[in-house]
Amino acid sequence: MPKSLFVDPVETLAPGKITFKDIPVNVYNKTIKDERKRYSDDDLVRIYRDITVLREFESMLSLIKTQGVYNGIETTYPGPAHLSVGQEAAAVGQAYLLDQNDFSFGSHRSHSEILAKALSCIHKLSEQELMTIMEGFLGGSALRATEKLGKVDDVKELAIRFILYGTLSEIFARETGFHKGMGGSMHAFFLPFGIYPNNAIVGGSAAIATGAALFKKVNGKQGIVVCNSGDGSMARGPVWEAMNFAAMDQFHTLWESHQGGMPILYNVFNNSYGMGDQTRGETMGYDMLARIGSGVSPTQFHAERVNGFNPLAVIDAMERKLEILRKGEGPVMLDTLTYRYSGHSVSDQNAYRTKEEIEAWQAIDPIITYRKGLVEAGVTGDSDLEAILANTAERMTMICKAASDVEVSPYVDFKKDSMVVERMMFSNEKVEKFDDREPEVNMPLNEVPAYKKLKEKERCPVVDGKPVSKMKLFNLRDAMSEVIYDRFYEDPTLIAYGEDCRDWGGAFAVYRGMMDAFPHCRLFNSPIAEAAIVGTAVGYALSGGRALVELMYADFIGCAGDEIFNQMSKWQAMSAGILKMPVVLRVSVGSKYGAQHSQDWTALCAHIPGLKVCFPATPWEAKGLMESALKGTDPVVFFESQRIYDVGEQFHEGGVPAERYEIEFGDTNKVRDGKDVTILTIGAALYRAMDAAKQLSEKYGMEADVINIHSLVPLDYTKIIESVKKTGRVVLVSDACARGSFLNDVAKNITELCFDDLDAPPVVVGARNWITPPFEFDEYFFPQAGWIIDAIHEKLVPLPGHTVENGCTEAEALRRAQKGV
Amino acid sequence: MANAVIMPKAGITVESCIIGNWEKKVGDAVKVGDILFTYETDKASFECESTAEGTLLEIFFEDGDEVPCLMNVCAVGNPGEDCSALRPDGAQGAQEEAVAAPVEEVKKEAAPAAIAPTVSADGKTAVSPRAKKLAERAGVDATLATPTGPNGRIIERDVRELMENPVAAKAAEVAAAPAAAVPEQEYEDVKFSGIRRAISKSMHTSLSTMAQLTHNTSFDATAILAYRKLLKASEGECSGITLGDIVLYAVSRTLLNHPDLNAHMLDDNNIRLFKHVNLGVAVDTPRGLMVPTIFNADQKSLLEISKEVKELAAQCREGNISPDKLSGGTFTVSNLGNMGVESFTPVINPPQTGILGVCGTIERVKKGKDGEIKIYPAMGLSLTYDHRAVDGTPAARFQKELGYNLENFTMLLAK
Repeated sequence: MPKSLFVDPVETLAPGKITFKDIPVNVYNKTIKDERKRYSDDDLVRIYRDITVLREFESMLSLIKTQGVYNGIETTYPGPAHLSVGQEAAAVGQAYLLDQNDFSFGSHRSHSEILAKALSCIHKLSEQELMTIMEGFLGGSALRATEKLGKVDDVKELAIRFILYGTLSEIFARETGFHKGMGGSMHAFFLPFGIYPNNAIVGGSAAIATGAALFKKVNGKQGIVVCNSGDGSMARGPVWEAMNFAAMDQFHTLWESHQGGMPILYNVFNNSYGMGDQTRGETMGYDMLARIGSGVSPTQFHAERVNGFNPLAVIDAMERKLEILRKGEGPVMLDTLTYRYSGHSVSDQNAYRTKEEIEAWQAIDPIITYRKGLVEAGVTGDSDLEAILANTAERMTMICKAASDVEVSPYVDFKKDSMVVERMMFSNEKVEKFDDREPEVNMPLNEVPAYKKLKEKERCPVVDGKPVSKMKLFNLRDAMSEVIYDRFYEDPTLIAYGEDCRDWGGAFAVYRGMMDAFPHCRLFNSPIAEAAIVGTAVGYALSGGRALVELMYADFIGCAGDEIFNQMSKWQAMSAGILKMPVVLRVSVGSKYGAQHSQDWTALCAHIPGLKVCFPATPWEAKGLMESALKGTDPVVFFESQRIYDVGEQFHEGGVPAERYEIEFGDTNKVRDGKDVTILTIGAALYRAMDAAKQLSEKYGMEADVINIHSLVPLDYTKIIESVKKTGRVVLVSDACARGSFLNDVAKNITELCFDDLDAPPVVVGARNWITPPFEFDEYFFPQAGWIIDAIHEKLVPLPGHTVENGCTEAEALRRAQKGV
Repeated sequence: MANAVIMPKAGITVESCIIGNWEKKVGDAVKVGDILFTYETDKASFECESTAEGTLLEIFFEDGDEVPCLMNVCAVGNPGEDCSALRPDGAQGAQEEAVAAPVEEVKKEAAPAAIAPTVSADGKTAVSPRAKKLAERAGVDATLATPTGPNGRIIERDVRELMENPVAAKAAEVAAAPAAAVPEQEYEDVKFSGIRRAISKSMHTSLSTMAQLTHNTSFDATAILAYRKLLKASEGECSGITLGDIVLYAVSRTLLNHPDLNAHMLDDNNIRLFKHVNLGVAVDTPRGLMVPTIFNADQKSLLEISKEVKELAAQCREGNISPDKLSGGTFTVSNLGNMGVESFTPVINPPQTGILGVCGTIERVKKGKDGEIKIYPAMGLSLTYDHRAVDGTPAARFQKELGYNLENFTMLLAK
């Protein structure tokens, strides 16, 4: 909602028509003979060699999966093998002009893309550069393993072996793989060559690659980003969200610096099938995939359709697309036609296509036609090409033998080192800034009006015995803003975006006034596209920057499910710790807005390994945790509650400190001392628990120990156990629906850790397992102070003279469970 | 006439706003729609447009002041016009007081009411892990506590209550038990008292874990009845000595010759033999059977034993006996003689190995030395013993020696 852009009714309502440019379809029509001026003979032959390397690699895997043997090497491999037999020429053509500064992302069928990009980089890099890269990767361990294959003087040949061996042993889940086998076939990659993660989720790379392009754009980095996917991914919402994100007008209309289009190529290796469904003719309506760009941007993404069975046609198209990207007129799109001879996976019975169809494509297989073309054009003799084929097979045999031999390529030893994966889950580092350049800002921090105002606020809710008025009180929202300002002025790579983050200041005003301080390239409004918001943040972070993004309502986590649960959470460990994921995802738990805007979904996030999850309930907690989150290198889901943005600091002595401090993830916050019962809280329920504690003291002479769990993952139980051992009784409260609430996990652990100290089983008081009714009925749905006292009376220790109002007897609990409510 | 411009309400939940900057000053001419001042909520900034035309006569609040929504902020009218009527009452600082509610006084209510005992649905008594741990550490039997936890569970406070006030806890429960009964039923479900539960448990354990059998014998009570008559006739404290006391005395002396019966079975392979006799005496109380102990009975005189039994029985009936005196027995005597019982099967109090039942006296006949039929008072003795520890013959030997000692009681007294 920038005021600078006038929505003119006259112009908006004026008549006219939308016109489209023609979209080129298979326009390349040159022969090898025609192209001999453009390419040297060596280049043309190398293209053939690269195709054979890819074909041999995929054929080998196919034989191992189906027959358990390749060239006499008997081995098995239980993991996935989504092979791209038939698609090699397209991959080689795409990679031909790319170098290590260009990032490529892929899909579950990306072996060929990885190897083609690697072979292209090996050709372009000097021997010296190659040695440096190989020596530097994992401390040289991968190179040492490759050297064991036999002596070789040619560094380029050594590098080819290195990349083949590292990739294959990664697929075979060996410790000698590029990521210790933790990624495997669908997540293989090699960063030093600009080969970024492939993705087992169809279309999963679209938003991530877009985030990588955003990183390059915002931080002025060289190179472009290639987002590879299959035609089957083109129906997925996150893919459309990503393309729209990359096409946003604001890059041209509003951004003060780093103007221009996103440096990204959406390339679709279009083999006509999404697993077994036929895209064109069955599950899609686009007729030709290249049409899609026209639905996203007036540039039509400069899309064109290109014959991927001819590597030279692909190179020709890539050359034109790269030029557009370098001019800042991206994004671009290629509909690269190809065909997969092998099944989707080895269990594929080809029930969806005929033998004739496969054979018709095999008849024009580039490995035959391109080779024929080379001989016909007089580039080389057939015997030389035969020798290349033999050499490729020989090399592959040697690599396969080594990668399948457990002596040479051992598995990670879980028996000897049970913590091997555990160590990869979080990087747990503190990084002040990811780049040394000066942060791009509009004015010095101490001149930012909103920041100055924030500094003038009262940090304690009561001054001289009088409560501070709401407007002058430093509240939870201010606590987060303060840290975000500070961190923006320290880490030049830090960017923040989400729905209405800029002019509006965030729906809940956490970014209030920040548009004065930061240019668009650091703080901007994203489209309403949660998958793109989180997915791009993942790509931005794994490329080397720090992202702070917001989903407005926690309920929208569902719209970004894959991006949070599969991408943000998993890449650190799947890369064996090579990638970092400094993403802070702010999600706000609503109130008053009904069933789809009021849910506490901490349990969903805490359930997913690899995410840190916090939920501050006081300004002191919010400031310390935000500071910690924005310095860390791990993905954090940062829960907030709209009930308490306005609260001041009621518990920490002296209010919220003006100086900087961090609260370590895992810590808990004890806010009240008592000996009779422990109340554990998450989120805004803290304040109702404090009411209950007051009533318990006044009416029943019972003193509650109240501890707020502001960090769910990780969680240090020390203070909790200490308290429960003291009181013997514990009630756990949060606004999450009781069934499956994270508190049940805490209760289970307390039962196990303190069983002999418990006077009664831990009791969880959560919201009812209903939809959230309208705000008027809040007290029937969300835990209230009275519910806590009722639970204590009914389940822990009967309170003399207490009358239960919202209790739940055992019979009632059974009835509710039986009904599922 | 002068008009007021009010602080707009920027949202349903917004109660007050802070004035950012005044764009106009007093004396400026303003038109409807002119921006008068900026104001902000905690979330956003806004511009306040004038709703009146004329001259800005007076500004009631300054930059940075917090103004409740809908309150007059300034007055617009003709120059010189009086606008004091539009001035909010005590404009300056009024809102501070409004929000400065007095700190609520914490009021403690009266002492908590008495804690009511609770009952479980299935009649079983559960003990919380914490209560169990505490009871073990304190050496008390948690199951004797009166439950006040949910579902009749004995919780920590119940064990603490038992530790501090062993009998009161039980008494309270006895009083409460009938309350649990459902009226207008053909029957009444009465919850066992702590003592009843203890008896139930102990007796069941006894019979289900031991190899018990009982011998019934009798002896000629002529001598002790005569001796008792003599004592009764005497004046002073000896007049209270009963037949039961006499039997206790005889048992305390006779047992010393039969160590297997003055013993505890530790397990299936070990027995602990005691050097002195700690005699358990079964006492009937309104709450059920209780068994106080006369420690070192073998070293006490008949009178001392008699006095101690009376004292212990009184304490049991009154419910103020120390738990220490309810344990530690090495052998038990249960006397049903005055109830007319002729013989019975007393149940051993584990881990003891024997219990003597004292029965009533009946008249029997026997042949005298001269062949003459003679009627004599025969008193029955029922000895139950644990066959794991004691065989039949030694048990019978004890009973025989006991009968002899009672028949020749004055001789025993002389020893």
